[in-house]
Amino acid sequence: MNLNPMEQFAIKPIIPLNIGGYDVSFTNQSLLMVIVVAAAALFLTLAVKPGRLVPTRGQSMAEMSYEFVANMIHSATGEDGLKFFPFVFTLFMFVLFCNFFGLIPGSFTVTSQIAVTFALAALVILMVVVVGFAKHGIGFLKLFVPHAPLPLLFLLVPIELISFLTRPISLSVRLFANMLAGHTMLQVFAGFVIALGGAGGILSVLSIAPMLLIVAIMLLEFLVAFLQAYVFAILTCIYLNEALHLHDHH
Amino acid sequence: MTAPDPDRLNDLGKRLDELQTRQAAGSKRPPPNQSGIAFRFATELVAALIVGGGLGWGIDWLFGHFGFHTSPAFLILFFVLGAAAGIRNVMRAAHEINAEIASKRSDKENGS
Repeated sequence: MNLNPMEQFAIKPIIPLNIGGYDVSFTNQSLLMVIVVAAAALFLTLAVKPGRLVPTRGQSMAEMSYEFVANMIHSATGEDGLKFFPFVFTLFMFVLFCNFFGLIPGSFTVTSQIAVTFALAALVILMVVVVGFAKHGIGFLKLFVPHAPLPLLFLLVPIELISFLTRPISLSVRLFANMLAGHTMLQVFAGFVIALGGAGGILSVLSIAPMLLIVAIMLLEFLVAFLQAYVFAILTCIYLNEALHLHDHH
Repeated sequence: MTAPDPDRLNDLGKRLDELQTRQAAGSKRPPPNQSGIAFRFATELVAALIVGGGLGWGIDWLFGHFGFHTSPAFLILFFVLGAAAGIRNVMRAAHEINAEIASKRSDKENGS
């Protein structure tokens, strides 16, 4: 029996592949990502297919997620941010479905891998930089120049630059660390249940306590799964807003 | 079937609009919970230190490559700048959270 709480995050190749000296195997992680994308696409297309005026449960869920993201973009970036709805909605649904599929016992949590979350965060920041330069040209660099007397700028510009560069890191670490911590905690308490149950006597009866705790943590994890997807999406909106409107939110 | 009464239709439309604005105000965002805020501040600070230190280390490495032995001057300088950037990040994050709470409060007052 394996009680190692980190075992669940191991990446195992399903179809080993090697192209040009690089390991590009199809792993359990790739499989889960394919499932997640397929499930999200199927859910959103099938749920709105009936197109009823009085929605069914599925249709109402799909419509609610659409409205939720649209409202979020509108309140964070204003009218012209809605152009980025497809981008933000895709990110939100992908992260949300990854988090929820990771909660299925025996599956794999894609978002507990820093490689995945950092790739997503890097994509967001690249998008922000491209949008900023496309909209403001070289004037986008004003983002790094706060209103201050000239001598102070020698100090403040590097600080603003570093502050900007931390965004992909804090964005990816937040999602990754939350998922990693939650799933490790679940596994650790599950280990307690097995260890206590196998101990015999009065200790076996005590194993009900960590069991109840697992139920509570599982509920919390559902909240965290949604909340982290939300945080990822809202921060994307906030960064896009800065690229679109530069300093005028201050 | 008789033609629908325009007055009643207008009335229904008005009631639907009211309901929609009320719902939009009520069910907008999940509350920012305390541990989430604390965790956000922590990651902002640590990430800035890592980026600052990493940049300084990289500059030192680059200069070392060309034969200037600046190490660890830039590492120290950028680590300090990173700390400043981290505090700037936390201030900005606090600003955002405050704005969020304020907007929620005004929503609630307008909604009910």
